[in-house]
Amino acid sequence: MNHTLVLDVKGLKKSFGKFEALKDVNLTLHPGEVLGFIGPNGAGKSTTIRVILGLIKSSGGSAKVFGKDAWKESVTIHKDLAYVPGDVYLWPNLTGGQTIDLLLHMSGQTHTGRTDDLIKEFKLDTSKKNRTYSKGNRQKVALIAAFSTDVSLYVFDEPTSGLDPLNELIFQQKVKQLKESGKSVLLSSHILSEVEKMCDTIAIIREGKVIETGSLESMQHLTRNSVAVTTSEPLVKLQNMPGVYQLDFKNDQKTTAEFSVDSDQIGNVMAALSANKILQLKTTPPTLEDLFLRYYHSDNDQKVGE
Amino acid sequence: MAQYTQTFALLKANFKRDWIKLTVWLLVLAGLFVAVAAKFEGIYGNQQQLNTIAQTLRSPAMKALFGPLTHASISTAIIFATEMAVFWAIFMVIFNYSLAVGGSRAQEESGLTEMVLGGHPVGRLAPLSAAALELLIADGIFAVITGIGMTFANMPGSDSNGNWLFAVSLAAVGWTFGMISLIFSQLVADSHNVSIYNYVFFGLTYLVRMMTDVSNPDNTWWSPFGWIEKTDIYIKNNWLPVALFLILGIVAFGIAVALNVNRDIDAGIIQVRGGKRQSRFLQGPATLLFWNQRSISLFWIIGMAVLGASYGSVFNSIGKLVNDSPVIKEVLGSNGVQALEKNQVLSFVGILGIIFTVLAVIGGAMVINHLYTEERRGYLQLVNTTPHSRYYLLTTYVLYGVILAVVILYATLMTTMVVGNSTLAHSLSIRYYNRMFVAMLPVLILFMSTLVCFIGIMPKLRSIVWILLGGSFVISYFGRLMDLPNWAMKISPFYWFDKVPIHEINAEPVWWLLTIALVLMVIGFVGYRHRDLAQ
Repeated sequence: MNHTLVLDVKGLKKSFGKFEALKDVNLTLHPGEVLGFIGPNGAGKSTTIRVILGLIKSSGGSAKVFGKDAWKESVTIHKDLAYVPGDVYLWPNLTGGQTIDLLLHMSGQTHTGRTDDLIKEFKLDTSKKNRTYSKGNRQKVALIAAFSTDVSLYVFDEPTSGLDPLNELIFQQKVKQLKESGKSVLLSSHILSEVEKMCDTIAIIREGKVIETGSLESMQHLTRNSVAVTTSEPLVKLQNMPGVYQLDFKNDQKTTAEFSVDSDQIGNVMAALSANKILQLKTTPPTLEDLFLRYYHSDNDQKVGE
Repeated sequence: MAQYTQTFALLKANFKRDWIKLTVWLLVLAGLFVAVAAKFEGIYGNQQQLNTIAQTLRSPAMKALFGPLTHASISTAIIFATEMAVFWAIFMVIFNYSLAVGGSRAQEESGLTEMVLGGHPVGRLAPLSAAALELLIADGIFAVITGIGMTFANMPGSDSNGNWLFAVSLAAVGWTFGMISLIFSQLVADSHNVSIYNYVFFGLTYLVRMMTDVSNPDNTWWSPFGWIEKTDIYIKNNWLPVALFLILGIVAFGIAVALNVNRDIDAGIIQVRGGKRQSRFLQGPATLLFWNQRSISLFWIIGMAVLGASYGSVFNSIGKLVNDSPVIKEVLGSNGVQALEKNQVLSFVGILGIIFTVLAVIGGAMVINHLYTEERRGYLQLVNTTPHSRYYLLTTYVLYGVILAVVILYATLMTTMVVGNSTLAHSLSIRYYNRMFVAMLPVLILFMSTLVCFIGIMPKLRSIVWILLGGSFVISYFGRLMDLPNWAMKISPFYWFDKVPIHEINAEPVWWLLTIALVLMVIGFVGYRHRDLAQ
């Protein structure tokens, strides 16, 4: 079983009437991995997750969880899965504590010491009725239930959108613990620093298509580093070097410059810089945010780096 | 006055949102009313027809259902007024309730009010005032259409003062109950509970009206709903009740305003208490449904049992022959009189069976409807991702709903029997009530299956079930008085058992009603398994 992919989504399509919400979604999640799923509002993150959970039926392609069809075998799949939606809505007449127990029982789990620890850590007053909870507190209820559930796959759909930074940190620790105990996690988010910190693999979705998948390093490798440099001799030849973009001289002598450079050209550029006698050099790999913005600002038919 | 800023802008927005609902309701309410009036002379035109119906209406059973016919001399118009006043007032109340809840608490619940009040220069009382004005205008339009329509219908015995009084008093009863609903909107924090308060209040006023009409009509003044009868349309044309309605409505609005300024947004005056931190009881969808529905289910059963008891309490007067002259007694003999009286009570039980079934279906269907409400509100996304199949989920709700409806129906019939028998000299055997109960089961299940079918394949159109139920009820309850053609009577499933409990149940319609129900149920289940769940 260990060799089966936890999640295997291929060429997934979903239309609502004439509107194509998903055009081509491909995702793979290996056991023990944390997969970050990022994209702006309306790109299709939640729709994809809802197909994976068997709540809606795909219009094409395939979605398999634990090697089983997400739509047909949803009940079997759900035995080994926990889910926290982005907008948590709870039965107004139940208290938070009752809701947590209900959710645990429904997944065949029980209220354990771990549950009590989680309630303490997230600082949730479980005696209050759900109707009096804020969005963040409702998310805590769902998170506590999910984290005290012992299953192989955890699906989080923008789970921290209502949490304060302290609780967000607890969330990150808990995901780390899940990973350490060999669980698989699908985390959809648009808080990029969160994804950057926690995820092994990242998939970027845009207008219903997954346009990039891979580790953060491999994605950084695909794109440009930004360089800030000061040399003793003017850097004029940088202007015509292949692979150098957005060159900006910071002084009249043209000895201080900022630019970005393609990863595969970095050797040549460095050689050129050294020839000018480097006084100061700082290179930064692109953050996920840079990557993200770059993917999103490029036009549909333009590839990254053009 | 600053707190009323932008009331008219909100009013415009309300009309934009509600115009389809308003148009449909007003067309049906005013249109049907005028259409019946126009046709009425054809039904009750000559003196002989008038005498027959007057005699029927003077019986206590009819008094309980429609209110008393007080005047000695009768005309087509007076009969029309007696038959229609209470009946149409019920619809006006339902219409205004639905508008009032939609315009007040439901909007607040959806977060719209918070956005409007918090981020825009809108007065705190503007949403409430806009809702009140919306109702006023809607009822005003009803009164104008109806008043003009009645003038054209020109029934024998009608006069223009009476026509306008009728139109305005119906509008007034609706508006006043709408204003009272605005008070309840301030008391509790969710629209579902507001509706419960609304209908409990309406039920109480209706019961008081019914019991006082049968015992002593002077006491009917105690029920605001009873005021509608006190207009004495086409007889004395008394405008006092209209004035009372307006005063009560304005006072109610004033109370709602006073409560509104003293509460926080999204909160109710009645505070929500905390509760237990843990639950061993809640194990899955079934226990959850029971937990969420238990109070309202109990409320239905008790409320309906009280309704049954109050109908039962008038049985002795219903049994009395309207024409109990010594000559008739002599001709029939004491056994003959007793048999006639018994039949009279039994046919009343037949009508009650229909009323109770309609209400039981509403009680049960609301549970099944809740499955879709919870789906739309997003509660079910956490249930649907646990190892419970959709079939299991739907089965849970359907079983609960059907069982609740059946229990409501039987409990109501039983309290009717117990209280009824205590008032009768010769008690009615339980066999008649059981027969009534069994006859109504296929009808009950048919309506439930129709709802399941809609929830499975077209949940957005599920409200059609209420139209079907209401239509069937109107046809069966009102059709004979309206002299509807036979084919139209057959549309209502109740028609097929209209001889029960006096006669045995006809087995044939039982089978085909159940077959249709089964087919609808299967379509609903398969559809529910295969459709996308709403977000």
